[in-house]
Amino acid sequence: MKNSSLTAVDAQFKHNLDLMNFEPLNKFNHLLRLWRVQGYLDLMWMTQDWKLFLTYYASDLFLNIAAVTGVLFLAERFDGIGVWTKPQVTFMLGYAMLVRGIMETLFGYNIFSISRRLGRGQLDHTLVQPHPVWMALLTEGFMPFSGSASIIPGLLLLLWSGTVLALDPTISWLFLALLNVAASATILLSFSFIWGSLAFWAPRATEEISSSASGLLRTLMPFPLDGLSFAMLSGLMTFLPVGFLAWYPARALLGLESDAWSELLTPTVAAIFSIIAVWIFKQGLKAYGRTGSQRYLSFGHRR
Amino acid sequence: MEEQAHSAISHSDIVVDLSGVCKTFHQKQRSERIRDIFSNLVRPQVRQVDALKDVTLQIHRGEVVAYAGPNGAGKSTTIKILSSLLTPDSGTVRVLGMDPKLERIRYVNRIGVVFGQRTELWWDQPVAATFEWKRVVWNIPRDRFEKSLEFVKEVLGLHDYFNSLARELSLGQRMRADMGLALLHEPEILFLDEPTIGVDVLAKRNMLDFVKELNRTRGVTIVLTSHDMSELEQLAGRMIMVDRGSIAFDGDFATLRRQFTDRRHLYLETDASTAPVLSSAELVRSDGNRHEFTFDAGVIGISEILEQVSAQTQVIDVETHRVSIDDVIADLYKQWNH
Repeated sequence: MKNSSLTAVDAQFKHNLDLMNFEPLNKFNHLLRLWRVQGYLDLMWMTQDWKLFLTYYASDLFLNIAAVTGVLFLAERFDGIGVWTKPQVTFMLGYAMLVRGIMETLFGYNIFSISRRLGRGQLDHTLVQPHPVWMALLTEGFMPFSGSASIIPGLLLLLWSGTVLALDPTISWLFLALLNVAASATILLSFSFIWGSLAFWAPRATEEISSSASGLLRTLMPFPLDGLSFAMLSGLMTFLPVGFLAWYPARALLGLESDAWSELLTPTVAAIFSIIAVWIFKQGLKAYGRTGSQRYLSFGHRR
Repeated sequence: MEEQAHSAISHSDIVVDLSGVCKTFHQKQRSERIRDIFSNLVRPQVRQVDALKDVTLQIHRGEVVAYAGPNGAGKSTTIKILSSLLTPDSGTVRVLGMDPKLERIRYVNRIGVVFGQRTELWWDQPVAATFEWKRVVWNIPRDRFEKSLEFVKEVLGLHDYFNSLARELSLGQRMRADMGLALLHEPEILFLDEPTIGVDVLAKRNMLDFVKELNRTRGVTIVLTSHDMSELEQLAGRMIMVDRGSIAFDGDFATLRRQFTDRRHLYLETDASTAPVLSSAELVRSDGNRHEFTFDAGVIGISEILEQVSAQTQVIDVETHRVSIDDVIADLYKQWNH
């Protein structure tokens, strides 16, 4: 029965510990390796056959264009919307498409719709992996090939509108633009996680809550919010943070806001939302440790 | 790191050590009456389910342990606690000298877990792609990975479908691939929760052979749950049975048979169609001159029975069989339910 020597056991254990030497630099390298392998899996999936490749891309593209076309038509018909000129509306729509594209590229496989994973008991798969949960969540949804259908059209809209508006981007403006896009994406993700974490406590009832909650934001995000009442605007800038997903950051980047620090408001809000999301998710994880998953569905996991 | 590694190394032969482990779940109860709808919503009755009650057990390095019990006995709860997926309410859990929940990352790097019908394979990818994914996530050095891969491919027969999409595999093939995947990082302990559920006879036998081989050649400690008792008997040297959250038996299969009952079947062919009347043996059926009895070998010996038969009729042929382990366990579950 005791057929392994102590030396062999020691050697194996030491080897295993060496593998998990999570110094910051190793952590970063590990993150890069994880993104790379997820990118590889996504490429393998996309290149199974040409029909899949083309139809998937085309349908994704149609969906994303359809999401912003209504607002674009309104701007075309009325030569702008409220105080926004046509090119400014296009800039905001390009911004919105880019934010959506980033979410779909980085957080596929139901990471963005986290309540599905939690509600279906699929977190167990993450917990048996030898790295922190945040690392798995940050990398496992990376789909650079199949998820990026709205990044290029979004960038094209930004480029076209920027040219028409004669924007002269400086390095600091570009940095602030990138920071705002990342912040808007963070707010969208945090909002999905805040609601999605309810699935830790009510897995069956809230399985779809992430997609419903974020769907609401994604539907409203391409609309300019100028002219709304103070009460309504306050709601859309706090509890339902639609305003920070495209409208306010676009205003700030286009210089329509008079406040000098307006470009930093969206990143600040993103920090607040992400702190709340992390706190709620951690509470949920603790509850999960006590109760575990009472149900398991394989649907949507790694497929 | 070097220093940490050496201090953390467990020199004990005991690899799993559970002491006084308790786990309770709460289930909401709802009555079916319409008049209770409001109270069901506002103040539902809660039933306390003791999934584990003061469970204490130790498993030594290199053991193959069968962990069995009726549905709801606490098997999966134990495996989940051992896999770091669940925290006990009280008691201590040490596996390989670590607390599975508090030291999860280091811990899961040293264990392997396979849950029946919960595949780790990427569904729309070739099996090979998931193995590559595992190499990166577990940070397995390339040379070690190649060696492990060759071993699992060879022993589990993965060569034929290694480049097929996971969704196109049969359940047996998928389970074998899952088993191979769980072993790539060379775990010291393997937890198998009903690994052969839904798998056909041949695939099951191949998997069992593999588990035996793994334990024999690599000294991997194996803890497995299953409802198939003959499968467990083939594989495990030790059986732990749980009933309603408590350990009801811990020992080998021979002891289990002896302790609870050593029931056997006796087939007698006599020169008469009337069955002989035997004390301490129960007639099951008669078919012409052939009569089937059951008896407890702990109560009455075969020679004593034959003496009784010879006194009544002439014996032409005698056959005895031990009842299957499944029947022993079924009797046992019945006893527990009463």
